[in-house]
Amino acid sequence: MNQAAPQNMPSSAKLIQLMGTVSLVCGLLIVSTHQATLAPIRANQETIMRQTVAELLPGANKQITYGVDGSGNLTVLQGVDAPGPKLFAGYDASGKLIGVVLEGADRGYADVIRAMYSYSLEKQAIIGFKVTELKETPGLGDKIVTDPKFLANFKELDASLKNRIVTVKSGTKKNKWEIDAISGATISSRAVGRLIDKSAKEMIPIIQRNRQRIEGGN
Amino acid sequence: MAHAHGNAPSPSESMEAFLNGLWKQNPVFVQVLGMCPTLAVTNSARNAAAMGLATIFVLVCSNTLISLVRKLVQKQVRIATYILIIATFVTMVDYIIKAVSVDVYKALGPFIALIVVNCIILGRAEAFASKNSVGKSILDGLGMGLGFAIALFCLGGVREILGAGTLFGVSLFGPNFQPWVLFLLPSGGFFTLAGWLLIFTWWKERKKRMAEAQQ
Amino acid sequence: MNESSLGAIFLDSLLINNFVLSVFLGICPFIGVSNKFETAWRMGVSVIFVILVSSVLAFGTNLLLINFHAEYLRIITYIVIIASTVQLVEMFIKKTSPALFRALGIYLPLITTNCAVLGVALFQTARNYSFAQSVVFALGSSMGFTLALVIMAIIRERLELSDIPGTAKGTALVLMIAGTLSLAFMGFAGMGGGG
Repeated sequence: MNQAAPQNMPSSAKLIQLMGTVSLVCGLLIVSTHQATLAPIRANQETIMRQTVAELLPGANKQITYGVDGSGNLTVLQGVDAPGPKLFAGYDASGKLIGVVLEGADRGYADVIRAMYSYSLEKQAIIGFKVTELKETPGLGDKIVTDPKFLANFKELDASLKNRIVTVKSGTKKNKWEIDAISGATISSRAVGRLIDKSAKEMIPIIQRNRQRIEGGN
Repeated sequence: MAHAHGNAPSPSESMEAFLNGLWKQNPVFVQVLGMCPTLAVTNSARNAAAMGLATIFVLVCSNTLISLVRKLVQKQVRIATYILIIATFVTMVDYIIKAVSVDVYKALGPFIALIVVNCIILGRAEAFASKNSVGKSILDGLGMGLGFAIALFCLGGVREILGAGTLFGVSLFGPNFQPWVLFLLPSGGFFTLAGWLLIFTWWKERKKRMAEAQQ
Repeated sequence: MNESSLGAIFLDSLLINNFVLSVFLGICPFIGVSNKFETAWRMGVSVIFVILVSSVLAFGTNLLLINFHAEYLRIITYIVIIASTVQLVEMFIKKTSPALFRALGIYLPLITTNCAVLGVALFQTARNYSFAQSVVFALGSSMGFTLALVIMAIIRERLELSDIPGTAKGTALVLMIAGTLSLAFMGFAGMGGGG
């Protein structure tokens, strides 16, 4: 391509001119699509987040999203697309705090599992759990999304942090801070235990420290 | 091939450009092109349909634009120009899907961006749109795109019905159906496509045999 | 930031989520150039080379794009990077080792449309890998690609002597073998968990 130029080779200037024009048109198309879809994309993400929070905290009809900075201080966020850890506080009709929804992620059997769970300050316990992203083996690992016995673990899972939240072998749950694994999906179940433990250890102390502010909803 | 005089393509010729991709030169079953998305996103009928639509959009748009500029593009930079145009429409479709449905966007994931390297699109740009009028190129893009989408749907439908007992999420066999999970796994994709290819080859061979017997 | 350890990323991309057999990337060359061990091996080596270089370049470019808030140009810039990487690698090999260049021959330009190359660049961005993680991921997945390609080539060379019904010959047979291989590779999956 770059040696033995044929006689009818057009000048480089002409080629550059053509490529420049094409790039300009392409750039215009991309930027205008990007601008046009910016608002719907943000609205979509926010709707999904709000629905998940409402599902995890039944009765919540007011929500506040807090961003957590490096030193553990909270800031009220308007959208949900800001990077970094976030808290989603849910309040009932009278403005009373029901609980806080947190995010976590850990490696499962096939890929990373992402999930959200709700934490009640009053009960110091996890009261709801929902997988938001998963690529586990169909029929086995994906039971963590639907298995009612497994989901029953999260009706009131002790999260006072006196004991580490941990997944135990199927049928051997004895304590309130243990998660009963699904037999046949042990690795995925363990990943759930780890993702909650990791995120709870990090976030719950921050929630406790800022309890008054979150309860006040400001 | 019929020879059309004048600029407007004759109806039969347009029809041929359209049907060619749909059946005779079906990109998946006959040309065996674009295998990666064919296998990767066909674990449900909905994902297959979404991928099919996205590919049709990119194929028709890129065919149109490339055919429009075909007389201006010099030979030396044509591939670079085509890739630039294709990548533009892929970026657009990426944002459009994200704006329309987050669920579909999550399910298709990076495979939307990977439409760029789907050999069908560059192949049609080089083999058809760079040599034919805009109208014919649009029809060719529609035909090839539809052919691709139908093939995806054939795979996605079979895999969802056998692997989950549902079609578009609607349960078909009632709660007692024991799904054949293998078909949702990656290996199920390979097996299903192999099955379709076997059926196609067998059918073609049969037609050939029958034609020979008639002689 | 992604916290996966380097070892886990390597194993994951090499075996558990093998690019060809479980993520379905690079299927075209997997079907096209897997009929001879020699050619499969050469193709594999060139792909490892190109993926490593383009992964590093894509990492740098992504930093630039984020810096300028121009993430919407990602697909376009990545594909341009890959196309130019393939050209650069071609020129580089031609200058430094004409013997290797003759051996790789026509396989180099084919790599531009190998979706595994773009796949590595896109995945490492989507997963927020650090520089070291990206390089390890690129190495693992390209070696995984080569592994699958070479295994397939060895099987196909053996199959040449066996009596297969005419209808099943060709792509359908390759796909059936790939399906079986993919099932076998699923056995690696548990290795990544628990760690």
